Amino acid sequence: MLSVNDVIVLYQKLRALQGVSLEVGEGDLVALIGSNGAGKTTLINTISGLIPAGGGAIMWQGTPIGGLSPDQICREGIIQVPEGRKLFSQMTVEENLEMGAYLPVARSQAEESRQMVFEIFPRLAERRCQTARTLSGGEQQMVAVARAIMARPKLLMLDEPSLGLSPIAAAEIFKTIEELNNRGITVLLVSQEVLQTLTIAKYGYVLENGKVTFSGPAKELLDDPRVKESYLGL
Amino acid sequence: MNTVLVVRSLISGIMMGSVYALLGVGFSLTWGVMKVINISHATFGLLGAFIAYTLLHAWSLDPILSLALSAPLLFFLACLIYRFIIVPITKAKEVIVASMIVTFGIAIILENVMLLIWSPDPRLLTTSYTSKVLILGPLYFQYPRLAGFLMSLAGVLVIHFFLKKTYMGKAVRAAWQQPDAAQLYGVNLQRISMITFGLAISSAGAGGVAMAFLYAFEPHTHNLWLIYLFLVVIVGGVGNVLGTALAGLIIGVITGLSFAFLPYQWVNLLTFGLLMVILVFRPQGLFQSEV
Repeated sequence: MLSVNDVIVLYQKLRALQGVSLEVGEGDLVALIGSNGAGKTTLINTISGLIPAGGGAIMWQGTPIGGLSPDQICREGIIQVPEGRKLFSQMTVEENLEMGAYLPVARSQAEESRQMVFEIFPRLAERRCQTARTLSGGEQQMVAVARAIMARPKLLMLDEPSLGLSPIAAAEIFKTIEELNNRGITVLLVSQEVLQTLTIAKYGYVLENGKVTFSGPAKELLDDPRVKESYLGL
Repeated sequence: MNTVLVVRSLISGIMMGSVYALLGVGFSLTWGVMKVINISHATFGLLGAFIAYTLLHAWSLDPILSLALSAPLLFFLACLIYRFIIVPITKAKEVIVASMIVTFGIAIILENVMLLIWSPDPRLLTTSYTSKVLILGPLYFQYPRLAGFLMSLAGVLVIHFFLKKTYMGKAVRAAWQQPDAAQLYGVNLQRISMITFGLAISSAGAGGVAMAFLYAFEPHTHNLWLIYLFLVVIVGGVGNVLGTALAGLIIGVITGLSFAFLPYQWVNLLTFGLLMVILVFRPQGLFQSEV
């Protein structure tokens, strides 16, 4: 579905990504793990079109999408839940959801999507008229995910969705991500919560210093001594 | 103190202030949303006034109706300016500074074009109702002022409604609050900025006509208006439409009252003294800065 081939990203002269390749198949839940500064967010933002690639190719359902603007990428059904949530903080929950369904295709299905969102996150239904910034961190993350659901994603990319959340809220978010995947949404999940991420993922990639150092089925990665040592502290 | 005089100057202040408000909201929007301080904002307002003046004399078209013609024209002009002049400077490191310099240039060019077309003579919008007065007991309402007031009220409400209730207006607010996230959800930032700029300049044209109902104008008048724009936007909070509108009213009332009770030379000293006090104690404006 999505294939990233040998993508290079340069920040000034620094090589943030030095030839990264990655595959996401339809219906998969793929994990991208790695420490701070490894280039995970850079990769996600490059796929979303926020950062131009300095080399390599990004293919989406067989066609190249490199060079498209973020709103065009969104039109393709590739939706990102950005790191730090980036909610429209002075808008209400309802308005944030509406903005998720900004494009015509999503807008025409907005009512259905809204029902699905409130089914998954009943708490947001109670909070619908509240301004986003007045919500707790866990609720804000719910809004961020809900906004993405409103956009009718074919591929949902989540960047550190559990960052700054309490362990309970984080576990809830991971459960939701798994549920969304079960409903047929393809997921690319970026996280430093290696254990939880690899537990729900089907396949995993480990990014270190702008390179994929190892990859494989998530279960194998969990058993890999190098992953255990570097990321699980075992 | 004479109550009737107080009420009269209050009313006249509110009417004046509403016009500042209409002229100010667009200035506030481009500043808040696009990080463009448009020095030529009032100049476009003046252009709207001159167009109204010409249409009034050529076809005896009512100044308010002239907006049907000047608003789309200004919108189109603004889109061109956005595309060919503003877009290149958004790549600058200091967009705000670059925007001030560039739009200052636009203001000078436009001012001289207006000098060529309309000469430096002061003009008045003299309509059939210019000298008519509505009398309610001890209170007088001059028709042109009433027209300017109603127009401004309508203009501010339209912009407020657009931002709060329409999809596109919400996209403008979203783009201001979180440009990256807005793009990730399908908002085309350039298109939204262009529409914001177009809307701001059109509303400036309407504000210019409303101003022209109140005061005489000539091609340099925009310099004076610009000072009031800064005053209104800084008091009201950058990017805040209702805040800007309220600030317009407050400043109108303050000037209205001080005109009535203070020697003329004290009026501006008072208003701008107040501006300095606000800048020192509440540099973000009296109202929370939000679209």
